[in-house]
Amino acid sequence: MKYHILEKKNLDCFIKNLLKKMKVVAPVERGSGNYSFAEISSADEIKCDYVPTILPPKKYFMPQREKIMDFKEDGDVKESCYIDGEKIAVFGVHTCDLSGLQCLNIVFNDKPVDHNFLMRKENLFMIGLECNKYCDEYASCALVNAHLPNGGYDLFLTDIGDKFVINVNTQDGEDFVESIKLPQASAKDMSELEKIREEKKKIFKNEIDVEPSKIPQIFEKSYNSKVWEEVANKCLSCGNCTNVCPTCYCFDMEDTLNLDLKSGERIRKWDSCQFETFARVAGGENFREERSMRQRHRVYRKFKFPVDKFNRFFCTGCGRCSRTCMAGINLKEILVKLAEEVKF
Amino acid sequence: MKTKEKNVIEIKESNWSYRKGTILNTKMMTKTEKWFDIKLDDGELGHEPGQFVQVELFGVGEAPISICSSPTKKGSFELTVRAAGRVTNQMHKLEKGDRVYIRGPFGRPFPVKQMFGNDILFVAGGLGIAPLRSLINYVMDNRKDFGKVDILLGCKSPKDMLFYDEVERWGKRMDINFACTVDKGEPDWKGNVGLITTLIPGVNLNPERTYAVVVGPPIMYKFVIAELLKKNIPERHIVLSLERHMKCGMGKCGHCQIDHPKNYYCCKDGPTFTYDEVKESKKL
Amino acid sequence: MAKNKISEKPKVAFFDFACCEGCQLQIANLGETLLDVLGAVDVVEFREVMSEKWDKDYDVVFIEGSIGDKHAEERLKKIRERAKVLVAYGSCAALGGVNGMKNGFEIDEIRRYVYGDKYSYFDSKPTKAVDQVVKVDYYIYGCPVYLPEVVEVIKCILKGVAYSVPDKPVCAECKLNENVCLYDKGVVCLGPWTKAGCNSWCTSNGNICYGCRGLVSNPAKNQANDIIKKYNVNEKIKVLGEELMKKKIEMYNKAKEVK
Repeated sequence: MKYHILEKKNLDCFIKNLLKKMKVVAPVERGSGNYSFAEISSADEIKCDYVPTILPPKKYFMPQREKIMDFKEDGDVKESCYIDGEKIAVFGVHTCDLSGLQCLNIVFNDKPVDHNFLMRKENLFMIGLECNKYCDEYASCALVNAHLPNGGYDLFLTDIGDKFVINVNTQDGEDFVESIKLPQASAKDMSELEKIREEKKKIFKNEIDVEPSKIPQIFEKSYNSKVWEEVANKCLSCGNCTNVCPTCYCFDMEDTLNLDLKSGERIRKWDSCQFETFARVAGGENFREERSMRQRHRVYRKFKFPVDKFNRFFCTGCGRCSRTCMAGINLKEILVKLAEEVKF
Repeated sequence: MKTKEKNVIEIKESNWSYRKGTILNTKMMTKTEKWFDIKLDDGELGHEPGQFVQVELFGVGEAPISICSSPTKKGSFELTVRAAGRVTNQMHKLEKGDRVYIRGPFGRPFPVKQMFGNDILFVAGGLGIAPLRSLINYVMDNRKDFGKVDILLGCKSPKDMLFYDEVERWGKRMDINFACTVDKGEPDWKGNVGLITTLIPGVNLNPERTYAVVVGPPIMYKFVIAELLKKNIPERHIVLSLERHMKCGMGKCGHCQIDHPKNYYCCKDGPTFTYDEVKESKKL
Repeated sequence: MAKNKISEKPKVAFFDFACCEGCQLQIANLGETLLDVLGAVDVVEFREVMSEKWDKDYDVVFIEGSIGDKHAEERLKKIRERAKVLVAYGSCAALGGVNGMKNGFEIDEIRRYVYGDKYSYFDSKPTKAVDQVVKVDYYIYGCPVYLPEVVEVIKCILKGVAYSVPDKPVCAECKLNENVCLYDKGVVCLGPWTKAGCNSWCTSNGNICYGCRGLVSNPAKNQANDIIKKYNVNEKIKVLGEELMKKKIEMYNKAKEVK
């Protein structure tokens, strides 16, 4: 592992050098305590101290609306599939979101692989940023062990006062820091980093009174829990919780025609299991008709199904679902209630 | 790292590419169901009984349709389509000679090899005969691989009966026992009237060595399975084919995931399931 | 959907009933797309832009406005008889729209208020949406209509396929546009109950959602108080709570009787 140093006063220089090579996106302020990843042209625009953005950076890996193919009817139909190969540096990604992207990476590498996701991933230069303290009360990253860096980035920055320690994880990352001649971290810098990690151990503690190792057993027994009814009574079926989730990837396909009615495109767009229509079939039968079933499904897709299939929680503790829920449905509360019910 | 540039990268082997084919023949089977015989440009479809394809109508969308012909039939494959939604209504406008675009075949087929050497009881309700026919015809074409074969068929009324000519032939074969019933008869209907469940008690079967293959609407599953369990057929010998909204066919889009404590995607882990796999689901 | 197949270049007409004609005016705002649309259809009657009349059958008629008296009902029925495809165009036509507010009052009280002492000479009935009078083949909601959706519906009509209005709340699209939630800003927004399909046109531009597209088919019933509890909205809103939401929703939805 290589570590370099970036003086905070040189952050703008760092960004400007990145901009010479590619588009740069970073967390920016959006007002009323909201942030989003957006294109920047200088370091002044970046908010390093931010609460998870409205949408996670998955939007760069799997855009909200993504053209899958063009088609043209001319006797027979000809279709062509491609992505725009724009290089983007995503700066300031928290560990929760890096963890989310790893979850998506697992899913889209599962056969048949998703070429769109994988090819977009190749074009993204990921620069992580460590949280030295909690963003807010909705986070539960320690519960799922996503509060520390665990790969998924080219470079990873940790704030140690007036400078960042940069952990270099890939050759691309190394090439970049070498190209701008960032000095290697000294022993003193490394001990500062160590100190921060020690400090984090005191700050980041399992946010709920439930052992993570017990969670799979809880979900073995919670399928018919009353909690789902309680949650359903609040749920608006607006899909906010899934749209903002860094590990939700359900999608819908849509064909749009041009007015010539002969050419058009197939679009992949984000969908949500919370929508009334999600599990409905053309004949009218709806296989997840009740809000309680849909809410249960969402939570099972974080704590049960992926554990069975990939041996990993698909919750990264970012807290977005609870933060964004207008009706105040809180994931941590759901987990606590389920645990109480099955009496662990 | 490459320099800053905006370039278009073609995806050569996209999972979203289509296999192209031509409609050899069509037939309106009932007021709402149309049958298609399709030949692919690239040869055989290469499916197994119980699988489905995604049919694309460019500019309208895709719909998952179960394959109703057996892989033992060579040269083309068949679909039976009920006009239920946007895509299927538009599909009904297609005629002989029209081009079709498909992805697939997809899904876990019926567990044919496990069934070898066993008795088979087919129970089909309504459009359920379509996916089931792929297996029925397979069994007919490999008749000696199986034991006793019973076919029970139910539909709303005589004029809703699909594959009428074929069903008539099944009725005349010596090597299968065939019975059918309609929910509501018509003046010239001489057969049974009543729900399909009424036919089950009369079937003479050896539960330990019988596979019951049941395809129909959710409400039918509920009652038919109850009858089959009364006959002591083991849960893992009851095979179903579930209907869900398969959008991508690749186990990704999430639409077809069964409402069940286990992680089942209908398009990949199904559409065929044994009853013991999915019995915890409230609506099959 | 009308069984009759429409012609290659369909004859299209626009008609207005009780409305502000703003949705028809939107057609002019199509810009360059207007030329493509005009290449695909043949507009034979459109009072706002032309004086010609058409005496044969129409392939497609766009009806703007709600139905507020006996005369309008009869006129609409006659148009329906001559049209293969009928589109309820804009919120007034598709759900009654703001005209529906009339339905919250005694009809004679309203007539007296509007027409004075001689009100009995002027017929007026509770506001109806177009589908409360005749069969509707396509719905385009919005006050005004959202142009990309209009173009989408036109393509569906030309192709002969159904158009399904998204049955999910505006929030679904608003979130994908990564807008700051208006409740975070302390304002009350009807996004959570209103049908999407407008690509969160208002909320993406800093306005609230007024519910002009009508409610989703299964709106969340008792959640307004939960929402108000979570957010820092002003005291008055807190006191009114659900009652306020209901009133706001009625602005566009009264003709379809909000429960």
